[in-house]
Amino acid sequence: MNKTTNALPSQFNEIGNEWHNAVQRAQRFNRLLTTDADIAQTPKELVWALNKAKLYHYVPVVPEAERKPVPLLMVFAIMNRPHVLDLRPGHSFVEYMLKRGYDLYLLDWGAPGPEDQGMKFDDYALEYLPRVIRKLKAVSGSSEFSMLGWCLGALISTLYASLRPDDGLKNLILLTAPLDFTDKTAGAFTRWTSNASFNPDLIVEKLGNVPGEMIDAGAKLLKPVENYVGSYVMLWDNIDNPGTTEAWHAMNTWVRDIIPMAGSAYKQLINEFYKENRLIEGSLVIRGEHVKLSNLTANLLNVIAESDHITPPCQSERIMDLVGSSDKEVFRVRGGHIGIMAGRGAEKSTWPHIESWLAARSA
Amino acid sequence: MSSGNNESFNPFDPSQMFKDMRNAGMDAWAKTMVELVNTDAYAEASGSMLDAWLGGSGPFRDAVESATTNTLNNLNMPNRDDITRLAERMTNIEMRLDDLDAKLDELLLVVRSSSGEHHRDREEEPS
Repeated sequence: MNKTTNALPSQFNEIGNEWHNAVQRAQRFNRLLTTDADIAQTPKELVWALNKAKLYHYVPVVPEAERKPVPLLMVFAIMNRPHVLDLRPGHSFVEYMLKRGYDLYLLDWGAPGPEDQGMKFDDYALEYLPRVIRKLKAVSGSSEFSMLGWCLGALISTLYASLRPDDGLKNLILLTAPLDFTDKTAGAFTRWTSNASFNPDLIVEKLGNVPGEMIDAGAKLLKPVENYVGSYVMLWDNIDNPGTTEAWHAMNTWVRDIIPMAGSAYKQLINEFYKENRLIEGSLVIRGEHVKLSNLTANLLNVIAESDHITPPCQSERIMDLVGSSDKEVFRVRGGHIGIMAGRGAEKSTWPHIESWLAARSA
Repeated sequence: MSSGNNESFNPFDPSQMFKDMRNAGMDAWAKTMVELVNTDAYAEASGSMLDAWLGGSGPFRDAVESATTNTLNNLNMPNRDDITRLAERMTNIEMRLDDLDAKLDELLLVVRSSSGEHHRDREEEPS
């Protein structure tokens, strides 16, 4: 009898503790879903701005004598923020490269407004990017530079490198570059956009710029269960693991920060690239100039994500046979579109390979 | 999604068993959904639904825009088109300023290099 009366309060205590822990977990879960983590923390200075586009220069962290002489320009996609390159302290590609002596520049395209509805890839590749590079050369004092383009940033970089091969571009790194749309069944994006019922002209006519929410939903619907359910289940399962929750919070902050895409660029992407495959077919004309991939002569590293559901590997492979570069390499990484650069394994696989490839060509 | 921790399978831990079952179910569900969105039928249906939504909501959007423009005009205030045109002009001005800035950079470079040469020449002159 005495034993039972003693056990009861401790059982109540245990239940109380469990309840308290569950409430705390729920609060933590809610905070992670609804707040923003501190991302893109590496110190940088604004060196150029035009319309919404901004060029940042990262503050070097190694003495001048140890720095690589060829600066590196990072060009991200036009429908996402580039913060994923500098996700969080301790897990940032920017931080990794700065520590190894690179003079780093980041181009942030910014969020287009209604006045930018008419912007096309022509403008990104031949109006903005040459100005960015002109400023980069003036600030760095170097006539040569390297460029890293990711996703649509890789497409823009490829256009630029093919149209302006004598502008000082020494090394070009393409990450998950959507360039070849020959296979209309490769990846759900290609299948959706190639379908006759998909009308990008009507979207742009009715909406102007394509809302970020629409682009975000399109990307998430490629893997609906993982993105709408699995991600949150994984978070709940690991809610007591600070390392995992911090990484999730940082990534979710980047994912939530959606921006629209300029209407004309969207139309051009779907019609001229996805549907008509003009770049690979050799019929693409940008501002009256015929884009010939054979004119691309910079050293080329083509990084392909083997499990990429946004840019399937076949969309990035064929460029290797068409470019004029004599120094070219394909690097295949296990992982997805974003994971190869921002995932946990990036620091051990993708970043060191990019760094060593670039180091050998940045002297 | 699956935890893949069958090595640590414990028949006396019902919560882990439940988690494993849930993960297996979600994996199968995820695979089915990926296959579903990768079909032509889904592409066709989503394209048609988008068209229907854009067509259906168009008149409402046009009405709101027209009412807003009329109200702003009656209040003698700039409407969306006015602001857009102004922003476009601003971008053009910015481009000209950018070109001027680039020319200044070039001039500075020339001045610095020539003053450096001049300085070196003076240092080399016999005293």
